[in-house]
Amino acid sequence: VAEGAPNWCAEAVNSTARKISVSDRIPGVTQVTSMLFDQIKNYLVETAGVDRQKFENPELKVADLKLDSLGLIEMLFEVEDKYGFQIPDPMIFLPMTFSEMVAAIDTMVQEHAGSQALKD
Amino acid sequence: VNKVVVTGSGIICPLGADKASTFAAALEARSGIGACPADIAAWLPCIVVAQACVDPQTRLERSDQGLDRATQFALVAAAQAIAEAGFACPPTDSRRVGVFVGIGFGGSQTSDSLYTRFYKTLSDPSLKHKDPTVMHPLTVPRIMANAAAAAITMRYGLHGPSNTYSVACASSAIAIGEAYRAIRHGYLDAAVVVGTEAMLNAGAMLGWNALRVMAKPDASDPSRSCRPFSSDRCGFVIGEGAAALVIESASRSTQRGAQVLAELAGYGCSSDAQHLTAPSIDGQAHAMQLALQEAGLAPEQIQYINAHGTATGAGDVIETQSIHKAFGSAARQVAVSSTKSMHGHLIGGAGALELVLSIEALNCGSLPPTAHLDNPDPCCDLDYIPLRARHGCHVEAVMSNSFAFGGSNVSLVARRFNAP
Repeated sequence: VAEGAPNWCAEAVNSTARKISVSDRIPGVTQVTSMLFDQIKNYLVETAGVDRQKFENPELKVADLKLDSLGLIEMLFEVEDKYGFQIPDPMIFLPMTFSEMVAAIDTMVQEHAGSQALKD
Repeated sequence: VNKVVVTGSGIICPLGADKASTFAAALEARSGIGACPADIAAWLPCIVVAQACVDPQTRLERSDQGLDRATQFALVAAAQAIAEAGFACPPTDSRRVGVFVGIGFGGSQTSDSLYTRFYKTLSDPSLKHKDPTVMHPLTVPRIMANAAAAAITMRYGLHGPSNTYSVACASSAIAIGEAYRAIRHGYLDAAVVVGTEAMLNAGAMLGWNALRVMAKPDASDPSRSCRPFSSDRCGFVIGEGAAALVIESASRSTQRGAQVLAELAGYGCSSDAQHLTAPSIDGQAHAMQLALQEAGLAPEQIQYINAHGTATGAGDVIETQSIHKAFGSAARQVAVSSTKSMHGHLIGGAGALELVLSIEALNCGSLPPTAHLDNPDPCCDLDYIPLRARHGCHVEAVMSNSFAFGGSNVSLVARRFNAP
């Protein structure tokens, strides 16, 4: 986890790394995580021109996607648009593996859903 | 000073998705004007528009699909012009090649989508779990007026200046004129010039509707709604699309053995300094005189004028009088037409589109008509090439006029190129 990244991020990565390390196809991974994985992957393959093969590697790093800063926030918009909240700091994902990033985003999605439920 | 020539051009507009089909449609007096999209018609049932005949996205890569529609039109037209010019890109002299763009409302479609998304998220109960402030991260670079210029420099590796002119209806006429000057005076050797506009969205059209300058739909045939110089004219019809030109110094074009479409010979530019929207005879005539003077042509040496001719009550009479003032007795001989009767008013794209059509007329001797001119206004007393194209004309030089809200007047002169 990047230096200076908020604590919740480290927790998110640690707690979800277990879920993710076995890849998104294995039971026990939340449905949302799996959906997120595919959603982001599909965007990257179809629109950003990332090679589909790369996602076969469970250790794929976010940095290996070779996105510039605009490319990174465009990718995050795929999630923001669907779930209706803005991800506060896109840079925290840079040192992560792709699976760790998906897990961290999953946590944010859950937290957002939780805060919305409280409002209701 | 250097001679400046046009070596390529391209069009995507309501009449066609390329130059040949657009010019052919104009010669047939075909109209690209029709009913407006449902989301606009829901609020403004009494307007007509001129939609581009194809969606520009269908002519572009998937990675271009997020760009603003005006940028997409610009890329399509620029690709045609660069291909026709046989311009290898990136050129070895890329630092001497500029990009000049004219656009009225930068990023209109993207702005409209931004506001629509915000208010829809805010007001739709089924979206209440979403934060209305979440927007696409590239919203700003898509809206910025120089988005098209930036996209063209990057696509073709052009490292000269990339300037964007927003001068309402004269935007791309000024872009052409300024690029021409830069080459003429040796600052550059070549330029890609584009005029583009895409504002057929609800927000922009609400604004236009409030100004009371748009034509009412013709009851029997909406495609006949824009009738320049006609006694029953009732305003203009907003169109969308783009036109592009590749211009370069005559010596550069000769060096690379390029075909030349025309010489750009004169550019006149003036401001009325008088009224926000009302035109002025002095300002318009002065622009035409400056263009003639720079081209070294007498008025009788111009055979065709593509008029600004928007079909507003005041505009067409003032332009007629301006032509009388600038051309004197030669005004009776020159053929004048307003092709806006067919492709509508492309605002920022108008100057480039109409110059490209004028150069086609110069080269083939067929003059596009003013469509729907069955009942000429007695106050508009020039030869407007009514209803039908005129073929077999000997054309040596043409003029294209663009007069903008804000009082900016531009006149461009192109002539046959005689290689030295």
